Amino acid sequence: MKTYFDTGNAAMVEAAVIAGCGLFSGYPITPATEIAEHMSRRLPPAGGLYIQAEDETAALHICIGGALGGLKAMTATSGPGYVLYADPYGWAISAEVPLVIVNAQRVGPVSGITGAPGQGEFYLSRYPTHGGNFETIVLAPNSVQEAFTMTVEAFALAERFRTPVTVLADQLVTDGYASFAVPENEEELRALGLQVVPRRAHPGPDFYPACADIDIPPVVLGRGTGAACSDWTPTEEGYDTEDTVEQMRHARRLIYKIRAHRELVDRYDAYGLENDPDIVLVSYGSPSRVVLGAVKEARRQGLSAGCIRLQSLWPFQDELFRRKADYLVVELNADGQLAREVERAARYPVHFMGACGELPSTAELVRAIRRLERGEALPQSTDEREIR
Amino acid sequence: MFRHEVLISGFGGQGVAVAGRILGRSAVAAGLQATMLPSHGTETRGGYVRSQVVIADDDIDSPLVEKPDIFCALSQAAYTRFAQSAAQGVVLYDPETVATGPAPAARSTAVPARGIALESAGTALAANIVMLGVVLRRLNLFPADYAEQALRELMPRHAESNIRALRAGCAHCPHCAG
Amino acid sequence: MDHLAERYLRPRKIPGTACSGCGLGQVHKKILLAVEQSGIGTDDLVWGTGIGCSGRQTFNTWKGDNFAGTHGRVYAMAVGLRAALPEEKKILLTVGDGDAFGIGLSHLLHCARRNVGMTVIVADNFGYQSTGGQYGYTTPQGFVTDSSPYGTHEPGWLQGGADILDILKSAGATFLARYSSFEGQKAVAGIKKALDNKGFSLVHCIYPCVTHFGAVGLNSRDNGEIVRWFEELFSAKNRSGRGPHLTSGITHDARGTRPEFAAALKARTREIREGRHVPACSNPYLKNSQGGAEGRHVQA
Repeated sequence: MKTYFDTGNAAMVEAAVIAGCGLFSGYPITPATEIAEHMSRRLPPAGGLYIQAEDETAALHICIGGALGGLKAMTATSGPGYVLYADPYGWAISAEVPLVIVNAQRVGPVSGITGAPGQGEFYLSRYPTHGGNFETIVLAPNSVQEAFTMTVEAFALAERFRTPVTVLADQLVTDGYASFAVPENEEELRALGLQVVPRRAHPGPDFYPACADIDIPPVVLGRGTGAACSDWTPTEEGYDTEDTVEQMRHARRLIYKIRAHRELVDRYDAYGLENDPDIVLVSYGSPSRVVLGAVKEARRQGLSAGCIRLQSLWPFQDELFRRKADYLVVELNADGQLAREVERAARYPVHFMGACGELPSTAELVRAIRRLERGEALPQSTDEREIR
Repeated sequence: MFRHEVLISGFGGQGVAVAGRILGRSAVAAGLQATMLPSHGTETRGGYVRSQVVIADDDIDSPLVEKPDIFCALSQAAYTRFAQSAAQGVVLYDPETVATGPAPAARSTAVPARGIALESAGTALAANIVMLGVVLRRLNLFPADYAEQALRELMPRHAESNIRALRAGCAHCPHCAG
Repeated sequence: MDHLAERYLRPRKIPGTACSGCGLGQVHKKILLAVEQSGIGTDDLVWGTGIGCSGRQTFNTWKGDNFAGTHGRVYAMAVGLRAALPEEKKILLTVGDGDAFGIGLSHLLHCARRNVGMTVIVADNFGYQSTGGQYGYTTPQGFVTDSSPYGTHEPGWLQGGADILDILKSAGATFLARYSSFEGQKAVAGIKKALDNKGFSLVHCIYPCVTHFGAVGLNSRDNGEIVRWFEELFSAKNRSGRGPHLTSGITHDARGTRPEFAAALKARTREIREGRHVPACSNPYLKNSQGGAEGRHVQA
């Protein structure tokens, strides 16, 4: 392994190179610009193509075009660009195109504060396009090392499931520096639990089969297979159809190819759950780093606390929230997105602690755990009309 | 098991991020764990930039510097904003640019970094690296050679002058009060 | 069309679902004739389509490989596809006027700027007809449509001194032509040259929509009347003043004068890979390294 000291941005780029990324297209946006910059320097020496697009909509469409031509493709953006991906994102979901999409979340809504971290696209990553009738795969790194490993994993999952995979990071993960290990050969890659899935091409004619199977090669154009792919509801051969039975078949494939293989996607990490703690903190991304420190500190102070950190966000892992506890969800937003989902999944009280643009401090978190342990409400939730 | 927190803060252009990166990079090269959060754009425009460096001998949970063991205040704005957080640590400042006032918020140690930089490197721009030398000695976790190597890798065109600044900072450290 | 259909079209797509009297079939046929006369086989060309009558009606009619973009985006997809495909594979796009000159214009202009190797056939029926007949960017000024019951109130791309082909020329397109669906071999010859171009070609083909544009805009479903109006557009003595004055033929032929985008990108990438270029960065403090992530090895 080679060890580097660099940013999450750089780690993702190294991962893309190892995963065999053949095309990157993006549009400058803080804080994801650095991924594009690293790509522009790093990809060509590895034989990959770098195309700066005229806008984010074009960026993801260019990636789709590259993928349809047989290249593994990746793009990176932040919230304001991620919404512009809605159109091509839907295209890629429906036509089953493998892609890797990085979102370095910043605080919003809209332009918000350009460089400050946020977690506002939790639900948007579940429904990144209109129309419903699909599942998405979303991974969420909380460190530079994970920015590396999850990007390699995202490429593999994208190939196996024939779908775009979002790596939902945040500004602190992408811009923050830490050491990370990069495998130098197959064996070291496997030692990190990673694999590189080569691009294959569907031979046809059943490009969109009526099944929930994975590991079906995607459509690749220009290989003389008579392939057809579009934004229309496809027949198995890719013809556009207005038959509602075919529509149902297509929808069920998009949903169940992912639901039926959740074991390949589900990832989480937990600490201190062995003695059924009273308070379980829930988070993902960079807040989880402070949460872990705070839970350790709370336990040192004799409080009964543990934590769950989601490494994959979608499909949502409902079963993680079956244990009896008070859940405290910590997010980089003030509206409580993950909290809402945990509330849906858990049968026990769910509390929420939000922050905007800045991580909560260890002391604040320990205070919150102490209050919950005493059965007191958190100050934030006592009077919601209090804005300041 | 140890965990050290270092905060470097000043204006944009003073080399705050570079100092943080060199510190983190040399710690990793010396076999330790390190994280460094550079400031975000908002802070840059707000008149101060920040490098939050955590160095430990084991996995680092939170990369946040909440209670810095060492705080390098490279500007008055940075001192005013962060000195209180270093109440249990030490604040390094250059009296030429920072006035601590009659009741300093923490143990404050004057380092004439600009002067030392001019003398050793021939440019006041190297004041950040002089401060870094002092930080390295204060931390006393690994030899300064690792930082010299990091300077060669990260600033190949200005490595020699910066290494002189680093060494001058290291040499100055024993003379620091506090 | 029989021998062309047999050679190039998918039986399942014949007959199409176009309205009776629609001129799109004539445009489609001219493309296939040009393809045939160019000696292009089904494996040599990937066919993309946009949204609207022109796109939907031609999607997956081609016996080779097909793709369809969402509204206005097929040009951007074609950029990525162009980069990924071997140089000898051709990309042809059949799109409508709303797709190309409205929602997709930014992408289209950027394709022209980059001189991306593709042939775009804009089959123009003067507005949004598949959604029921709203005005577009080539609808003649003053014309009544379902969304301009008092007559269109804004200028389009073909009147008032503007010509969309001039804009595309300024943007960098290397082949541009304009025909009507009523023209024969002349239009086929133009499309052949467009297909021959290694860079960005666009052929603007106007065709009649009887159901909406004819019925509402020209106040007639009569084919004879509609043909007369089309002829008037290209006539030097366009007496009625109804509609723009257009010239048929090749308006710009700069084939071979500019490098093609994907070929240049790939050549450049190859050179970088061979180590013939070193990255130059303005800020050595931030971006010094030539290696991967910052520097190389900091620890064995």
